[in-house]
Amino acid sequence: MKQEHLEQLDKIREKAEYIFALAGNPNVGKSTIFNRITGMGVMTANYPGMTVELNIGMTEMDDLKIGIVDLPGTYALGAVSEDQMVARHGVLQGQPDVVIVILDANNLARNLYLLLQFLDLRCPVVAALNLVDQAERAGTHTDVELLAEFLGVPVVPTVGIRGDGLDELMHQALELARRREEYITIPFSYAADIETRVRKLARRIERKLEEFPYGLSPRALAILLLEDDEEFVAVLREETGGEELIAYCRQIADEIEKEHGEKAALIIARERHGIAGSVASNVQERREYDRPRLGERLWEYTTSFKTGIPILLVVMGLVFLAIFWGGGALADLFSRFWDSAIGGPLTRGIESLLGVNMFSQSLGWAVDGLGAVLEIALPYLLVFYIILGFMEDSGYLNSVAFLSDRSMHRLGLHGRAVIPLISAVGCNVPAVMGTRVLSTRRERVIACVLIVLVPCSARVAVIMGGVSRYVGWAPALLLFAILFVIVIAAGFFLNKVMPGESTGLVMEMFPFRRPSMANVLKKTWLRLKGFLYIAAPLIVAGSFVLGLLYESGWIFKLTQPLEPLAEWWLGIPAVALLALIFAFIRKELALALLVVLAAQVIPGVTESSTLLDFMSKGQIFTFALVCAIYIPCVATLAVLWRELGARDSLTITGSTVILAFLLGGLSHLVLTLV
Amino acid sequence: MGKMLTEKMEEYLEALFKLSCEEETLTPTRLSEYLGVTPPTVLDMLRRLEAEGFVRYAGVAKGSGKGKGEGRARRAISLTPKGQRAAKTLVRRHRLSERFLTDVLGLDWESAHREACRLEHVLSPEVEEKLAEMLGNPETCPHGYPIPDEKGHIKEEEKIKPLCDLRANEKRCIARVEEEEPQLLQYLASLGLLPDVDIEVKEVAPFGGPLLVKIGDTQYALGREVASKIYTKQGRGPRRRGQRRMGDARKR
Repeated sequence: MKQEHLEQLDKIREKAEYIFALAGNPNVGKSTIFNRITGMGVMTANYPGMTVELNIGMTEMDDLKIGIVDLPGTYALGAVSEDQMVARHGVLQGQPDVVIVILDANNLARNLYLLLQFLDLRCPVVAALNLVDQAERAGTHTDVELLAEFLGVPVVPTVGIRGDGLDELMHQALELARRREEYITIPFSYAADIETRVRKLARRIERKLEEFPYGLSPRALAILLLEDDEEFVAVLREETGGEELIAYCRQIADEIEKEHGEKAALIIARERHGIAGSVASNVQERREYDRPRLGERLWEYTTSFKTGIPILLVVMGLVFLAIFWGGGALADLFSRFWDSAIGGPLTRGIESLLGVNMFSQSLGWAVDGLGAVLEIALPYLLVFYIILGFMEDSGYLNSVAFLSDRSMHRLGLHGRAVIPLISAVGCNVPAVMGTRVLSTRRERVIACVLIVLVPCSARVAVIMGGVSRYVGWAPALLLFAILFVIVIAAGFFLNKVMPGESTGLVMEMFPFRRPSMANVLKKTWLRLKGFLYIAAPLIVAGSFVLGLLYESGWIFKLTQPLEPLAEWWLGIPAVALLALIFAFIRKELALALLVVLAAQVIPGVTESSTLLDFMSKGQIFTFALVCAIYIPCVATLAVLWRELGARDSLTITGSTVILAFLLGGLSHLVLTLV
Repeated sequence: MGKMLTEKMEEYLEALFKLSCEEETLTPTRLSEYLGVTPPTVLDMLRRLEAEGFVRYAGVAKGSGKGKGEGRARRAISLTPKGQRAAKTLVRRHRLSERFLTDVLGLDWESAHREACRLEHVLSPEVEEKLAEMLGNPETCPHGYPIPDEKGHIKEEEKIKPLCDLRANEKRCIARVEEEEPQLLQYLASLGLLPDVDIEVKEVAPFGGPLLVKIGDTQYALGREVASKIYTKQGRGPRRRGQRRMGDARKR
């Protein structure tokens, strides 16, 4: 596990009396429950793999501080993939007092598999049967008491999104944590022949090993070894007498294989599925509906090629139109309100209060910066975030991943990579972290490059707020098309250049869920918060600094060396290039500062807007193009650095800067020729 | 049949029949692997079977004299119609015996298979007929393989097909998963994609796109390359480990 997580966990452990871990399959609503319990804001969506890190939060109950750890969603606790490893170490190293396993009532059998693994590890478990409302609607009724009896652990029915049952869940978990000492977790027994062998191995482990890794029970270790778990086999090798144990384990595994004609690891998986399946079928009653429900029919339409592709195109078109019109209308509204109610009076107030000097003039720039936040960036971001929230929660993105798997192969990726790629549209930073679910480094590098080229919400705001608002919808669409082609070309190129093959797609497909308006708004607010608390102050401060530079005359000295690149190569004013450079901090800065510059440098409106006086339509297009391609922002660079290391992250940054200026120059050339 | 077949010969015919159901070309090497005997022994037996007219194996008699490529191409074993008939009879007797041993005597599958291996060689046509009658002419053995009828017709040829070759709405059963990538195998196992589990193909994206499959209550998207590593067979998965009853779950 990453060191930082451990430190964070240790810190929480010092403060909190108890630590609970939230575990479960992907997309069962862990993060929603985590948010509900801790009051924190972790991004949620209706597709797997939204959480790839440990989220850590705190809550209080009965005057006790409780640390909550949200583990990445996994199907099992193996050593097979990064998310499984993170989840497993969160439990093994984090040593939570209680593991709350969240089960999807719609798919109990598969979900119980993970719970059984926790029982095998002898973790104290409380189960939350989540999404019960949805399951009941679909005709699946679960006998919760019987389930608790079968499993021997407390089971609480919950509806995470509404918060139903969460108090009870926490209560049960706390009860268990308090009785931690007297509580024993009893794992299920496997079929007699397997169980005898497991115990035989466990006894040998108990005798031979002085210290058990992570304090696991001998039986748990025996199972892990029989499952041929890479990590534990490696750990055991280090121990004295480990080699001998491994040899003994191999012998037992061979016995099992000979008898059943299948690897011991598979037999154990089969056993667990068997137990899970029979428990589920005994506690659940289901009514079958003759008519496929709307969700299922939507499914068929969106995944079948003939209808899926047109639907995809229509959806993309609608999204564009919604941002174009919705964002535009909001921008008009906000700008009228700003001019009449705040912006004008504020500027006049500052001037009358401080007189006309360098400082008050620069403050005027800052006010304009605030105006740009409200008039340009906010409306487009707001509309975009709401749409994104709906898309994420509906589950439509699953279908997109399915439809695009084939094309992703051409780019050296498999369909699963579509998920980080699409989430990159919201923000590149979590998307880069999301590439951890990809299995090979090659795929992660390719995915990171493509993610960086996918326009994030900030860049969408720049394109829509700048190009579509001032230049027209068609050039904006053209810009998106250019970006699309660049992403495809980059993928093709990398797939050719980097040796290796892409691995296969294995992804659970989730049914459509009706998005909850409250949740969408909450997510929108979460995202906007990032903008309002970080980007908006930066824009205001940046405007102020620009104002100071301008009023003192420094700006011309600063921009002079930029002139050849800006004016001759890109054909835009040198100060505009300065705005582009500022935008390395946050991409929203690019357009906001440009609008401020335009308002201040060219006072007095001659045409429809100051921006169009300051720069021509072609210049705005080139500006937005360059802005959209070069390395997103300092936060993305930081996370790239962390995930891929210095060399690759700097290579990616350098290449995108070069590409941005090449295409910017090309755009200028074409525009002057036309 | 001119001469009585020995038990050993019968084993060979049965092995050839089973292999020919699964694979395109049969070679002595494959046969020796399957039976666990040395290639010379196999060649020796093949020569005898060919002399009796049960198999065709050109490699033995003439393969050496001709050009290399031709020789190799002809070095495949096939059953003659006579051999087919004999093999099917044996398979029928074996599978009927298995049915009898599990359904009537209540033996477990492993032992049923072992016993049936012996019984198949001693059943007379008359006993075979009575047995089938008593069991109600079953179509499959307990493992889910088809039982040929008295004329040797097999209802549906047991063919192993990779998952990626299936069409939409086809329901089959996982036969095995390629073991070259243990990580993938384990991952799939944790998802419940195990041999003998029923699998339904819901959708196949064109141009080599992924497959949408349903297992139990869950739908998965599987890329082609993953699907090509999963082999499927006809029919429902027999009850094995992984599908247990109520009593088992209570056992703690």
